[in-house]
Amino acid sequence: MLLLQQLINGLMLGGLYVMVAVAFTLIIGMLNFLNFTIPALFMFAAMMMWATMTGNLPFGNDFLFAIFGEHNIWIAGAIVSIVSICLVSLIIERFTYRYMKAKYGDATEHALPLVSSLGFLIIFEHLVIGQWGSDPLQIESPFGDATFTIGTLIFSYPQVISLALSLAIVFLLSHVIRHTKLGRALRSIAERPDTATLMGVDVLRIVPVVYVITGLLCAISGILFTINYTSIDAYIGDTVATVAIAGMVLGGLGNVWGAVVGGLFVGILEVFSIYIVGADFVKVPIWGLLLLILVFKPTGLFGHTAIGKGKF
Amino acid sequence: MLLDAREVNVRYGRNHAVKTASVSLDHGEIVTVLGANGAGKSSLLKALLGTVRAEGRISFDGTDISGWAAPRRVKAGLVMVPEGRQIFVSLTVHENLLMGAWCRNDDLETETEAVYERFPNLAERRHMPASVLSGGEQQMLAISRALLARPKLMMLDEPSLGLSPILVRQLFDLIRDLNREGLAIMLVEQNTRMALATAERGYVLELGAIVLKGRAKDLSSDSRLEEAYLGGKSDRASL
Ligand SMILES: Nc1ncnc2c1ncn2[C@@H]1O[C@H](COP(=O)(O)OP(=O)(O)OP(=O)(O)O)[C@@H](O)[C@H]1O
Ligand SMILES: [Mg+2]
Repeated sequence: MLLLQQLINGLMLGGLYVMVAVAFTLIIGMLNFLNFTIPALFMFAAMMMWATMTGNLPFGNDFLFAIFGEHNIWIAGAIVSIVSICLVSLIIERFTYRYMKAKYGDATEHALPLVSSLGFLIIFEHLVIGQWGSDPLQIESPFGDATFTIGTLIFSYPQVISLALSLAIVFLLSHVIRHTKLGRALRSIAERPDTATLMGVDVLRIVPVVYVITGLLCAISGILFTINYTSIDAYIGDTVATVAIAGMVLGGLGNVWGAVVGGLFVGILEVFSIYIVGADFVKVPIWGLLLLILVFKPTGLFGHTAIGKGKF
Repeated sequence: MLLDAREVNVRYGRNHAVKTASVSLDHGEIVTVLGANGAGKSSLLKALLGTVRAEGRISFDGTDISGWAAPRRVKAGLVMVPEGRQIFVSLTVHENLLMGAWCRNDDLETETEAVYERFPNLAERRHMPASVLSGGEQQMLAISRALLARPKLMMLDEPSLGLSPILVRQLFDLIRDLNREGLAIMLVEQNTRMALATAERGYVLELGAIVLKGRAKDLSSDSRLEEAYLGGKSDRASL
């Protein structure tokens, strides 16, 4: 039963990794680069959630407490978080895609987006540290420890809800990509952006949509992480994203459902690793597995090609 | 006049790829643009479609479109079938057709059915990834995809490239058929003989400049046409 409980805890944690892994895989599949702003967005979303809920927003948030009240301030936190992430995503799009596309023709044939996204990550972490320090920050869970039990197994409501929400979002996303006009355009841009332009697709209007979608995935999972685990710090993005990257590679680059399976798997692996080798060593089995996969099956479990774009 | 482009210039950095070229085309006309490798044919087409930065005044169907971005020009009926077909192989055959109609929101069913009737090979494979198509079928799909945009002018960039002689003949039959149905066509080719046999008028580009133009009949017997291909730039030019 203990093992089963660990499995459940792992699945819940994996649900959060899933959204980050899908965010990584979307940008890899569409634009062919590993987007390091994803950890920054995740961390920033968590920070905005914390800052709103604890009254630490730099411009003061008494009015938010006045509107939402002590009890529902988490809703304000989620809204502030999502809105600010969407805006930041659009700024990031300009510096990692649009300006390079204008200057070099094809932004994604260079290592530039990777480097500029790394720049964003570092700048964001240090802005946050400058504002709020690097120590762990706590919130009080708005839901207490609401749990229910099945037999002897314990489930926490926020965790179950976030796992369900995470899977629902990915399901919706995958439906959009497979079966809608926008999804067709996304896949065609992923494969041949210049040819998509010949069909009249306005690539410079659709790529920002992709950035906002990845931003939303990071924001929602950052918000859920904060509510579920109640303690965050400026490096939380790195911590979560490195595991999510392992999950994405496991599932196959550019494969949305692969990222789901991979994300859940690394969540379970993490929980079991903590149980077996302890928290200090937890990244060793996860990244050890990643290295093995890269050597023996670089396409991941469900991917077709290791490198290159256009793989939805 | 359907298309009237005056003094078009395209530059890639210091490389002056199209030098003050003027081309025009009437409703229902087939016009060919000839030239050796690197003469600037594709660059000229891209300038007309608006996918490269270009100087010059372009009017299409009576409207000045010089300042328009490519999507707006496509919507207006200026459509290109690119060099090398550029099929989306990660999409199905049917999805490729639908991408051609990106700019439209009306019903496509009758038009896709018309395409499938014209090309039974595509109909059979409509729900397969386009990667299963042969080179010839891919060219048919590329042209069909462009048709779904409901073009007034279709610009074809070296459509015969890499096709067997039989397929080349079928392709040119198709081009003539489409033209007979009322479509104006600008045909970039290296297969000069076939192109001049199909088109009414032609332009010859050399190093970015138009060095020769006139009726197709006159061009085919003009010795200067051969000169435009000299310098070992092309071994595909056949007169
Ligand atoms: N994106 C680009 N950047 C820089 N130079 C380019 C670019 N595209 C084309 N060129 C250059 O412009 C010139 C004209 O090229 P273009 O592709 O228009 O020729 P073309 O007549 O279509 O040749 P081909 O028959 O080989 O297709 C060439 O010298 C080519 O190297
Ligand atoms: Mg060309």
